[in-house]
Amino acid sequence: MLEVKNGGIETTVQDYPGRIGLLDQGIFPAGPMDDLAFRLANLLVGNDPGAAGLEVTAGGAEFVFTDARVIAVCGADMQPRLNGAPIERWRSYEVAPGDSLALGWLNGPGFRAYVAVSGGIDVPVVLGSRATYAPGEIGGHEGRALRAGDRLPLGTPSSAAAGGRRVKPDLVPTYGSEWVVEAVRGPQADPDYFTPEDMDFFFSHAWTLDRNSNRTGYRLDIHRWQWARTTGGVAGGHPSNILDNGYPVGAVNVAGDQPIILTVDGPTLGGFVCCAVVAQAAMWKLGQMVPGWDKIRFKEVDIAQAADLARQLERVISADSLERV
Amino acid sequence: MAQERTIKSPLPGVFYRRPNPEAEPYVKEGDRINEGDVIGLVGVMKSFHEIKADRAGVVVRFLVDNEEPIRVGQDLVVLAE
Repeated sequence: MLEVKNGGIETTVQDYPGRIGLLDQGIFPAGPMDDLAFRLANLLVGNDPGAAGLEVTAGGAEFVFTDARVIAVCGADMQPRLNGAPIERWRSYEVAPGDSLALGWLNGPGFRAYVAVSGGIDVPVVLGSRATYAPGEIGGHEGRALRAGDRLPLGTPSSAAAGGRRVKPDLVPTYGSEWVVEAVRGPQADPDYFTPEDMDFFFSHAWTLDRNSNRTGYRLDIHRWQWARTTGGVAGGHPSNILDNGYPVGAVNVAGDQPIILTVDGPTLGGFVCCAVVAQAAMWKLGQMVPGWDKIRFKEVDIAQAADLARQLERVISADSLERV
Repeated sequence: MAQERTIKSPLPGVFYRRPNPEAEPYVKEGDRINEGDVIGLVGVMKSFHEIKADRAGVVVRFLVDNEEPIRVGQDLVVLAE
């Protein structure tokens, strides 16, 4: 059992890849915003990389373990402490019954930390996943962020679970406050919907992440687009309007002047154009951006390059990325 | 001379001194406050989080304006003890 002493700002149970294959039912996948740190944390504790763990957003949370487990904390530095003593991120530790894991304020770049526990968090599987989709109040623990007093059942640890492992130092992701995010142009780009100048601006501007960005969407700066059309025709008066269509995960949805990246809890369809889609292998970076402060530049890749980046990322999600301390 | 300390923000976001735009500020300069009193809100990710005094004291001055963007750990208020 994992007992929540303090749920912090927003701590949720997530698994990877979340609730996939349900876009036609109106369900975006949910799952961790930073799937790289999340999966490395699971590998460190001997779990399947997609096993259910905790996403801690913006700092501050505390948990107590009621039995012997192996744990790991990856992602942003929230000054993790085990029974009050500082511990390292990106490595596994053994915990005993009654041990307390506390995460504090953010320290340096990054925004989300991930806690993996050997055996995983054994909340019910809903529509094929344990991931919390809070806007729909499904999955995770009661479909919501964790609060003090919540008690989460844990699964059976694998025999491979052991403390004293770490991610090889050269494979630990580095965070900053200015990010380069690979993205594929389209499905509604130039010349049909945007002008080439619009798309040049999109791929060169240093966009600021709005403070109201969250797991549903990442808002970027307001921009006066030129637009290739004068209206949306039958779909509406504004040239950002199109007839409702499905949205890909990671789409840069342009609603009027406002671009919004549709993140893992986003909407599955709507009637605005999407000028680009974030490469799957770059989605993890979104999870570590600080709303209100961090800057994003989009680097154009084609679909073959995006697929290659995804293969490169998958190669890191491997026991070969770990070593004994 | 009274010792001065600051209350820092545990979160990045935007600082608000009032619970809503029509309300009075939570605290004003010169007020004596107790540990645990709310001194403002930080808005981030479309939600608002109360910032509470981590000690008692008298509010000397605010170091950030209402609706000013703040970083984690930024000094918000000077308190005299």
